[in-house]
Amino acid sequence: MALKSDFLIKGVDFCQMRSKVYVAYRDLVFQDNVLKKANKANKFRAKLDKTEQPLRLLLLTEDETRAEVVDKPVEKYAKKLRMKYRVLREDVKRKKAKALKADENADVTSLDALLETTLAEHEKLVEAKRAELEALFQENWNNRAINEEEIRSKLEALVAGNAQFYDENLVKLDQEFEKKNANYSKITDLRVKFWSKIEGVFADLIAKQNAKTGKKDLEPLPEDVILSARDLSMHFGGLKAVEALDFDVKKGEIFGLIGPNGAGKTTVFNCITQFYKPTRGDLHFVTKEGKTISLTDYKVHDVILKGIARTFQNVEVVKEVTVLENMLIAATRQYSSGLFTQMFHLPLLKKEERIIRAKADQVLQYMGLSLYRDRLAWGLPYGILKRIEIARVLMCNPQLIILDEPAAGLNDTETVELAALIRKIRDDFDCTVLLVEHDMGLVMDVCDHICAISFGRKLAYGTPEEVQASKEVQEAYLGTGGND
Amino acid sequence: MDFSAYLTILIGVLPPMCAGILATFAITLIFKTSYTTNFAQGVISAIGAYVAVELTLEKGLPLWGVAIIGVVVAFVVGMLIDVCIFRRGKNVNAIGKQIITMGLISLFVGVIPFIFKVANYESVPLQPFIPITKQLVIGKVSIPYNTFVGLGLTIVLMVLVFVLLQKSKWGLSVRATASNEIVAGMMGINTKVITAISWAIAGALGAVAAIIYIGNATFSSALVMTTTQINAFLAGILGGFATFYGPVVGAAIIYLLDVIIGCICIHVPELSMWKSAVVYGIVMLLVLWKPQGLFGKKMVKKV
Amino acid sequence: MTAKNDYLVKKMLAEQQKEQSAKRALQIFDKFKHHPVLGYVIFAVVLVLLQVLAKEGMISTSFIGAVGSTLIYCIVGLGFCLLLGYSALASLGTAGFIGIGAYITYFCFAEYNVGVGVAFLLVIVVAVAVGVFVGFISLRIEGIYLAIVTLGVAQIIKEVLSALVDTIKISAKDITIFGMGFEIREVKQAVFFLIVAIMLLLMWVTHNLINSPTGRAMLAMKNSTSAAQAFGISLMKYRLLAFVFSTILAALAGLLYMLYIRSEQNSAGTLFTLSTSLNILGAVIIGGTKSIWGTIGGTFIIFGIDKMFLQDIKFFNDNPTLITIVCGLLVILVVMFFPGGLVQLVKGGIFKLKTLFVKWRVRRYGIEE
Repeated sequence: MALKSDFLIKGVDFCQMRSKVYVAYRDLVFQDNVLKKANKANKFRAKLDKTEQPLRLLLLTEDETRAEVVDKPVEKYAKKLRMKYRVLREDVKRKKAKALKADENADVTSLDALLETTLAEHEKLVEAKRAELEALFQENWNNRAINEEEIRSKLEALVAGNAQFYDENLVKLDQEFEKKNANYSKITDLRVKFWSKIEGVFADLIAKQNAKTGKKDLEPLPEDVILSARDLSMHFGGLKAVEALDFDVKKGEIFGLIGPNGAGKTTVFNCITQFYKPTRGDLHFVTKEGKTISLTDYKVHDVILKGIARTFQNVEVVKEVTVLENMLIAATRQYSSGLFTQMFHLPLLKKEERIIRAKADQVLQYMGLSLYRDRLAWGLPYGILKRIEIARVLMCNPQLIILDEPAAGLNDTETVELAALIRKIRDDFDCTVLLVEHDMGLVMDVCDHICAISFGRKLAYGTPEEVQASKEVQEAYLGTGGND
Repeated sequence: MDFSAYLTILIGVLPPMCAGILATFAITLIFKTSYTTNFAQGVISAIGAYVAVELTLEKGLPLWGVAIIGVVVAFVVGMLIDVCIFRRGKNVNAIGKQIITMGLISLFVGVIPFIFKVANYESVPLQPFIPITKQLVIGKVSIPYNTFVGLGLTIVLMVLVFVLLQKSKWGLSVRATASNEIVAGMMGINTKVITAISWAIAGALGAVAAIIYIGNATFSSALVMTTTQINAFLAGILGGFATFYGPVVGAAIIYLLDVIIGCICIHVPELSMWKSAVVYGIVMLLVLWKPQGLFGKKMVKKV
Repeated sequence: MTAKNDYLVKKMLAEQQKEQSAKRALQIFDKFKHHPVLGYVIFAVVLVLLQVLAKEGMISTSFIGAVGSTLIYCIVGLGFCLLLGYSALASLGTAGFIGIGAYITYFCFAEYNVGVGVAFLLVIVVAVAVGVFVGFISLRIEGIYLAIVTLGVAQIIKEVLSALVDTIKISAKDITIFGMGFEIREVKQAVFFLIVAIMLLLMWVTHNLINSPTGRAMLAMKNSTSAAQAFGISLMKYRLLAFVFSTILAALAGLLYMLYIRSEQNSAGTLFTLSTSLNILGAVIIGGTKSIWGTIGGTFIIFGIDKMFLQDIKFFNDNPTLITIVCGLLVILVVMFFPGGLVQLVKGGIFKLKTLFVKWRVRRYGIEE
């Protein structure tokens, strides 16, 4: 039964995704069409220019014509000779060095002379060529009998005619593309309608099933809470890594989880992201649609669909691909193309690829990583890798971002920057941040609420000031009977 | 159909079962100390067997004496593989290590015909420790004395190895290395030596297994131990590689299944074609039911 | 007199035309220079040309036969590219799956005579079924278990197949490809073209898969399972996908093998052995698992060179195991010292050639001051 309803929920998700892809692609197509139109217009312009070209050339002054007919070819010829000269020069250089090596007082003047004579010869050749072309030019120029006025008026008439052509064509193009856009909008509407209809069918089935089984929705969490843990416990054999932990994370806040080494902070994270299945207790989460779900119902690779994305303590960036591809990997679940589409690279995949690549570029820009876009992640500095991890999280449209020791391995300035970055991300992406950290400075600076744990149990909860003042926390960190 | 037919089948399976148990332990030892499935186990043990057979048939030495030489050779080969290859490939990942052992199979299978004349024989007229004609006859069932030798050898070796594992300093070091190599190294255990000796012991046990096995089967190629090796791997999965005893029990279960299916085959002759398929199928279903193995523990990975 | 007839204008126009066409040619070249599929098409065309030359008698039949059978192994290798290079899984069941394909083809043609379309379909369906079953059981715990289980499965397949029918053989007159019958002499040619076509298709499909979300997900999984899972990549799904894909390709290779080398005595006991699986695995690793060209190059080194050139030399004919030794040794060396395989070496070589060219230019022309 559980499997079946799971399938239905997946169906709804899939339909929604399809609709989104088509809408997003419609916008891309519109953008593209603007470019295409400009391109076509330019091409037409070039074609018109070509008809005007002979007349324009005929009207060039003597100097301009000479530059085209004489100077340009001569320049080319000179360049050719220059390459020949360079080969000779290198040859002479080597010969000279060889001779000097054999005998320090060797006579190398003949070689130098050869070089100079060649240079002179080449110059002469160039001059000869110029003279030849000049003669040809003069002859033709002098023989030319044209009525400049007549040609000018001809050209003007032609230009005016062409301008009219161009304008007419532009109007035609406008109409054509408008029609195309309208058609595409229609198709997109149809597609969206189709998929939303199927979505409706799935939703109906879910409702029917729920009515039949009498399955009730979970009790909704308080308005401002996004994640709540109740009686959360995780035991490894005899070891109680986390024991009866309760805490609430409020919507839009930055929540810090602190504690000494081995307090079970990372275990809590792993329980939330379902890497571990908690031994006991509830983990409730509010999705984007405002529905309360129990996270333990989901598999570890499905948690991302609910809007929970995490980073890792020891940076887990895929090293053998580029930074951009790392972003695409993070967005794997946002592709709706099936295996067949991927095998033959059908249009749908290309559409999705374009959308997601555009998004990846945006995220990279936001994180200041555009410079590294096409670099392999292999060998990038640690600070950059940490940024890539956060960028990857942003690719997943997260509701809740989980940062596992984001400041570990960063220097002081980087940590300060990080604090600003975390706040900025929270505001710009409108999400909640949950972080585990050792760096007390960062935690106290950035967090709205803090939960301190030790040996898997909660010690204190409250604002940074309250937690700092708490006696238990001081004891846990400094030991009992320590100096003030 | 009387009981003696079943018993005959059981007795026939005993020598391969001994070989299988020894090979399973060898594979488990390497899996736990080097974190790889050693596919070359069968070929390494075949080398030991080839040495023994070569010396018996070409030089006319008695098998009793040369068996020890064969075991020593396999011991050295095992140690050399660790020292020359695995120690140098520390940065090779799990799949890479697996592939190296597969490469070793190709290498040895190619090399053996160049070294051993026996490899070019059509069939090997090998005399086991005690000629197969000497048998203990109880009623309708006859048991070759040779089977007792293999059985005795296996029991003695396994008891010895498990006592060593539990009681000796070497055993403690092996168990420590198996649970965490880095920590074991920090606690002052020379993990390099432990791994090398584990490979050597695995080679030697394999050679013993091969000598027991070929005393009772036709000896045709360097891949003679493949079936035993496959059974040993499956035993490892069935029992779970988490413990040392799990795979050994798994091996016993697989060979007993073989006996049971063999007995059924007496009544249903059409089944005999699918005999090993059925055994494997049952093992697969068991693994499907218990993915971590019958004696396995659920491993929790640190993230 | 019109403008176009003027000598000077004519000359100027001609010059402009020349410049423009040169620019356009460069643009087209740039567009195709890095187009990956072009290489595959050229490869296929070369192969077809070889067959045509062989028909004209310019190349020996045994040579083209060797190329054909090597291509069949290349198809198996392509499956390994995804399995080993992208998902870091090893399978030893290849020979068994090739055997399944070959036997199904035998039954389809020799016993029931149902034609190549049905054979294709049957082979794919059976391969998917076997692949899913074996993969699902062995991939639940750890990736390295796959090699163990497939080793066992291949053994069973071998036993069952040889018990079913000992030797299999298809006569040329039974073969029809998509309704076309062939003369006995032509069958081998027709099958060769079929092999090349399927090869081209599979190269393209593999390339597409590698360069799509699937390929990237597999790479992510290979590098870090936990990160992959955190980003929604189901380990089981992609591992199973890679394994089933390689199984299908192996079974298809079996089908083509049976059609191509139909008249020889084929028996499961001697052909589809562990050594075959190991050699294919070795070939792929030596060539470079992450690259399609590497896979094909490696297969040609291990299978092709042996069959095309070395069989005529007495020394190699007397010592058939030599190639096995070389394969084994190369596998160990490549895994330990050149994880990228020969492709990496070739890429390094091309880079070196480029630098050499720059150096040569400087030496010849000097530096312009």
